[in-house]
Amino acid sequence: MKHNLRQSFNTGLTFGFVHVFLVLIGFNTLIGSLFAKLLGAQVSGSQPPVFTLMIYTALLGIWAGLAASKKAQKKNLAGSLAAGTLAGFIAGLIGFLFSLGLGWFLVNRIDFRQYLAFLSFDFIKATLFNLSPLPGALLSGGIFSAAGALGGLLNGVGHLPVVINRVESFRQFCGRTWQRASAPLHGRHRLLIRIALLAVLAALIILLPLEWGSYWNYVAGTVGLYVILGLGLNIIVGLSGQLVLGYIAFFAIGAYTMALLNAPIPHNLMWGFWPAVVLGVLLAAAAGLLLGLPLMRLRGDYLAIVTLGFGEIIRILLKSDVLTNFTGGPRGIQNISGPVLFGKPFNSDIQFTYLIFIAVVMTAFVYNHLQNSRTGRAWLAIREDETVARATGVNTTRYKLLALALGAAFAGLAGAIYASRNQFTGPEEHSLMASINVISLIIVGGMGNIPGTILGAFALKGLPEILREFANYRLLTFGALLVVMMLSRPNGLIPSKRPRYKIKEEPENTADGTEGEDER
Amino acid sequence: MNVTSIQKLTRKGARISEILRPLLGAIIVIFLLYRLYDVFIVQQEYGPETWLRLAIAGLVIGSVYALIAIGYTLVYGILFMINFAHGEVMMLGAYSGFFVFEAFKAIKVSTDPLVTFSNAYPVLSVLIAFLVGMSVSALAGFSLERIAYRPLRKAPRLVPLIGAIGASIFLQNAAQLLFSPQLRDVTNPEILARGSGWGIMVNGSRVILPYTGVFTFFLSLILLAGLYLVVQKTRLGRSMRAVALDKKTASLMGIDVDRTISLTFLISGALAGAAGVMWGIHNGLVYYFVGFIPGIKAFTAAVLGGIGNLPGAMLGGLFLGLIESLGPAALGIDFQLKDVIAFVLLIIVLIFRPSGLLGERLAEEKL
Repeated sequence: MKHNLRQSFNTGLTFGFVHVFLVLIGFNTLIGSLFAKLLGAQVSGSQPPVFTLMIYTALLGIWAGLAASKKAQKKNLAGSLAAGTLAGFIAGLIGFLFSLGLGWFLVNRIDFRQYLAFLSFDFIKATLFNLSPLPGALLSGGIFSAAGALGGLLNGVGHLPVVINRVESFRQFCGRTWQRASAPLHGRHRLLIRIALLAVLAALIILLPLEWGSYWNYVAGTVGLYVILGLGLNIIVGLSGQLVLGYIAFFAIGAYTMALLNAPIPHNLMWGFWPAVVLGVLLAAAAGLLLGLPLMRLRGDYLAIVTLGFGEIIRILLKSDVLTNFTGGPRGIQNISGPVLFGKPFNSDIQFTYLIFIAVVMTAFVYNHLQNSRTGRAWLAIREDETVARATGVNTTRYKLLALALGAAFAGLAGAIYASRNQFTGPEEHSLMASINVISLIIVGGMGNIPGTILGAFALKGLPEILREFANYRLLTFGALLVVMMLSRPNGLIPSKRPRYKIKEEPENTADGTEGEDER
Repeated sequence: MNVTSIQKLTRKGARISEILRPLLGAIIVIFLLYRLYDVFIVQQEYGPETWLRLAIAGLVIGSVYALIAIGYTLVYGILFMINFAHGEVMMLGAYSGFFVFEAFKAIKVSTDPLVTFSNAYPVLSVLIAFLVGMSVSALAGFSLERIAYRPLRKAPRLVPLIGAIGASIFLQNAAQLLFSPQLRDVTNPEILARGSGWGIMVNGSRVILPYTGVFTFFLSLILLAGLYLVVQKTRLGRSMRAVALDKKTASLMGIDVDRTISLTFLISGALAGAAGVMWGIHNGLVYYFVGFIPGIKAFTAAVLGGIGNLPGAMLGGLFLGLIESLGPAALGIDFQLKDVIAFVLLIIVLIFRPSGLLGERLAEEKL
């Protein structure tokens, strides 16, 4: 009992400090204005209406109560309620003291914005619900306590037998419906139906860009390019298991090849798009080979840090004044001309979207083909245990180099198209952050599979474009998300199914549900 | 390009790899000799005073790298993971130092507006700045381990690394949102005023030995020596070494592994915090990105010295600082490329001597 109380107490403390942190970075008003937008409320001035901030506080409190009662593993109503109330009260106490402190700044007119960027007087007023400090702080603490109790109550209700039964039957109902709905997919005409579905999808992909307008085409194109990058890195990291952190360097090679061959300044070569793409891909692959050759002895973290260094070297070289005459220096290269197909120059984002979609399909095809081939199995063996792979006759050096070269080639392709579409490339586009973005997208989506990569690219590049309000908080959320993902779902949103190879003569017992089996 | 042709290329590549390494080594040596000959004998652009200036700057920055590198080495030695967020722990220390000095600047001890607390009691205020900075960073390191790394201890190697990258991004952006992205000037007490120092006459021109630099260098030497004593002589140090060797056996010998790892993170965090405060005092600029580059450099230093090896990390840090500072001048290349020198050095060391200059402990187990 005492132990449980302490746990609830700690949960309350955690949520209290999280609340303080979120207020200090202005997250409460952000969520508040989002609610205001959703509910269609009038927003006057820079701060959202007070009731939305109350909703925010209440939601955080409910979460605290839920978390506390779940942690205390209270199955009964009273215990759950007690745990939730305690956590809510503690969080509320911290919120109360914090709000009092904020109020003190407000009353004494101390502008603390020089140190804590968000604490403007308007902001503090809104955080205190437009009340004077003491009632505002009391209200904040009160909402927390009440919401904590509510959270505990909810958890308790959720564990009542009646509710559990209801939920269970509803879940079964959903499952049955899903089965009935998806039955044709596995039935006699499954091939036909799948082809029809694919055709619908293809039609959507072909028609949508015409309707989207240039902004969404731009976003879709960016997502597509990141899918290519993700697939390329997946070959290196996901399939062959080599952690490469400076991957964006290959992207930079592709982009700069395109830029140098097709921009009026600095060289005015004007080779045209298509030869430049090919050369970009080849050069990137060559860079992958060259980087890989001396590094084949390194594994794991050392490889990661060396490739990180390689990426930084490329960026610093591009940025420095040393190469200004050759690569344009820190200001990058502008006015890169676009591709010309059948005498028609590409002049809108729609054409680029199509081009990128075609490139995505091509790379996905290559990726899929490789993954299910002898090469793919060799990579898998290397990833699982390099020493064993070598002992069983896999030429590890060769396959690791192949993975690096192919992954680099994908990145070169993406880079070349990227530079051509944006008509600009500069050194800061190829920073370490970009590499980490690509790594993160394959990890968030699920390492080593195509749907995961697409989902990850969408989540990392598409969502931030849609949620413009979060622009300032994007990286913060992203960092937190990475940690949380690693803690809860280290295999990504769509985990790869490990292929199981069966010996055909002896049918083995497949009681453990070998869904991902494929026989070859 | 189809797959088989690449395969052919790579098959040849595997054989080439064995020949390539000595060849590469020869090319590098010839290039270095040529550049050194060019700079020292043909051009003679810099006199001894310039070299002395560069060496002083390099030693000071190197001692800061050494302090951070110790944190990487300690953690890597025990958990075999790169604590990617270590640079951000240092950044938090730098911010703490900045805030302490700001607070002391605001406290007036007499009617004279120039006599602030930090000028009236300089030793005390510097001491408090270090105590606060070290405790904040120690706490940050400790919580990082608790929240993000401990649950992942049994996970595959890539998972905690990604978690650490996430933590690093999170801390950077949290600092940016909290404290705003602007650069902050750290106000030192007057006795440690930046830019002033002892003048030495070399070759007819005055070389300044800055107070902040001397202070930073010797303080980090003291801290490093203290850490070395702790690791070698105390009970805690012995259990740290035991856990680094073999966690399971150590726990059988009655060592609380979790507690030891927590303490390791505390210690490495505190050292990084000290490095952060020093960075603020010596370089004067604090901002949310301040820990990133020193963090990567310090990791380079740790690898240079042989990761897991304490004296190696210290020497690696000093060595990297010196190379970075002297290298561009000695090789006659642009000073903007000093970061390139650090990374190229890292790559060369890893290609030719993967276990670092002083050799690493536990080389087998890591692979």
